[in-house]
Amino acid sequence: MIELKGVTKGFNAGRPNQFTAVDDVSLTVEAGRLTVLKGPSGSGKTTLLSLTGCMARPTSGRIFLRGVRTLSMTGGEGDVFEVSSLPERFLTEIRRTAFGFIFQHFSLVKGITAIENVMLPAYPTGEGHASFKKRADRLMDMFGITRHADARVDWLSGGELQRVAIARALINNPTAVIADEPTAHLDSRLSREFMEIVGRLRDEGKTVLIASHDPIVYDSPLADTVVEMRDGRVTGTRKKS
Amino acid sequence: MKTPINRHMNILEFALSSLLRRKARNLSLLGVYTLVVFAIASLIFFVHALKREAALLLKDAPDIVVQKMVAGRHDLIPVGYGKAIGEIRGVSKVTPRLWGYYYDPVIGANYTLLVPDDGRVTPDNIIIGSGVARTQRVNAGDLIAFRTYNRLPLLLTVKDILPSESEIVASDLVVMSAPDFKSMFNMPEGLATDLALTVANPRELSTIAAKVAEMYPDTRPIMKDEILRTYDAIFDWRGGMMVVMLSVAALSFIIVAWDKATGLSAEERREIGILKSIGWETSDVLVLKFWEGAAVSLTAFLSGVALAYVHIFFFSATFFEHALKGWSVLYPQFRLTPAIDAYQLSVLFFLSVMPYTAATILPAWLSATADPDSAMRS
Amino acid sequence: MRKSTVFVIFTACNMALIAVMALYTLYSEMAAVPSRQRRAVMVKELRLTDLCLFTEARYTRNPAMADLNAPFQDHPGALEHFPSGSLVTPPRREREAQ
Repeated sequence: MIELKGVTKGFNAGRPNQFTAVDDVSLTVEAGRLTVLKGPSGSGKTTLLSLTGCMARPTSGRIFLRGVRTLSMTGGEGDVFEVSSLPERFLTEIRRTAFGFIFQHFSLVKGITAIENVMLPAYPTGEGHASFKKRADRLMDMFGITRHADARVDWLSGGELQRVAIARALINNPTAVIADEPTAHLDSRLSREFMEIVGRLRDEGKTVLIASHDPIVYDSPLADTVVEMRDGRVTGTRKKS
Repeated sequence: MKTPINRHMNILEFALSSLLRRKARNLSLLGVYTLVVFAIASLIFFVHALKREAALLLKDAPDIVVQKMVAGRHDLIPVGYGKAIGEIRGVSKVTPRLWGYYYDPVIGANYTLLVPDDGRVTPDNIIIGSGVARTQRVNAGDLIAFRTYNRLPLLLTVKDILPSESEIVASDLVVMSAPDFKSMFNMPEGLATDLALTVANPRELSTIAAKVAEMYPDTRPIMKDEILRTYDAIFDWRGGMMVVMLSVAALSFIIVAWDKATGLSAEERREIGILKSIGWETSDVLVLKFWEGAAVSLTAFLSGVALAYVHIFFFSATFFEHALKGWSVLYPQFRLTPAIDAYQLSVLFFLSVMPYTAATILPAWLSATADPDSAMRS
Repeated sequence: MRKSTVFVIFTACNMALIAVMALYTLYSEMAAVPSRQRRAVMVKELRLTDLCLFTEARYTRNPAMADLNAPFQDHPGALEHFPSGSLVTPPRREREAQ
């Protein structure tokens, strides 16, 4: 559902510290499947994730989105639009509704409750409180953290935080979930639990894209496609047959 | 159903959560803010109501009061001046006024002694203001002992006490007959404190005053509108205590806004980054900052103004009492009729709400416009 | 109840209170007319020139009548020593003696 064609992303163009993070990458992220970006740090995984998630624009190349419906664009299942050339307004709309992000350090807002963290992405959308609260309750129940709903995130353990972060990524019913090194700060048990949840999401039809150098992630039987990267280029693609 | 109201309410919800995270600090900030608005609003209400009362009451003051001046000081005026002045065209009546100050050493209060020109009191009788009755602790029918100019006692019977609604203008008055007044002050025959002129046409006041001054260069005519303008300028913001109060208030607003204006902490910047990364746009972040500022300043303003109104018009400005009373023993007790000065209140609104809200929004602007991509990397 | 709802209700009550105060002001204005008239009659009959606010000193009791020297009664360079003197400004004269 996401297709990248010859995408390049460079930083600090024209300055002495100029470098190319992603160099002529072409790949396809299939709908409803788990795609893993494997590679050491500095390989451009994070940049590629942010390009795919419409958080940044490529320096050159094109990115296509298929089968994403947003408020402002009436795209049906077969409709394709080229994200890299859309104005900023539409990008933020897409970013908000099509993608849910899980970050390395979870990036939860300290000092407020878990449930408020989960609901945060829905606040500025103009949706009524009652309706997204229901979704938040359901999500927290799905991941077994209902009892922590009104607890401040400062008091939660690593595993609990991980689940709150996942629930937050799902609050706006995104079509795709993008995760950047989600198991970097988790032990093996929690990492395996995370992959279990990813499996559940994939079974529900969500597209999942994970960047990781953790074998528990890229060697997992759930991974449909593993893309190897090094120095901003794709060095290999392995598909589960 | 997506509506703008929902968006604002939700963002407001988060703004309040953010403020409550540092409950003690933000509550005390709100407290101080409200206190400052309360003080200024009280001042605005009090001064406006008082000026209004003065303007309405003193419309019926004498048209022109002629005082004699000697060596730059107010001196007694010969009643004979009144004859020539009465001949000026436009002057319908000249009334010599007999009034003066009396200090009661026992109680320490100052009274104003006055002789009416309608003979409403006979010798040995006085009509007193309710403030006098209060400090002397007397009722109608009681005696008050005065000391005359040569230390002799003079006992006068209180015939009547002026109603309490007249406190604002007659609280310290002792209305007595001319013979009693003479005994008190030994004012020589043919002299009066000043002359009150009745002028039929108000537009001729200036001309008549000029003629009086020309006729008797040692007099100073005081016109009614000068009397009114004295009270217009009372509590002028340039006067001593007012400057102090207003400066303190201005400084407080600055200090309160300063904390916000000096920029965001690393924590706050990180948080904005997180919000941007989970889908909040720049405008959403700015709305958040707006509500953070507006919640505090709006609450402070509304509460401060409401409390000030109650303070001035229901509790007769108790907090100002000490400043207003000064060293006086006789302090008039009156309830001011409420009056609202919308202009000054809106100025107060703009000064108290806008800078603080702006100080909350502006430092966040830079962070709010940051690329969401950078949040991914943090 | 949500915090934002509480805040909105509180603010609405505050504004309603201020609206009530505005209405009360209008009402008081009308209700004050009779006593204002009685006071005005007193001012006219007794030929009063000042409000009785500060009874500390002569020039604070009758600021409209005060001459410029009254505050300096003790000494030309005397500092203001009555508290209400800092509240009462000297009367403005349209023109000095000609």
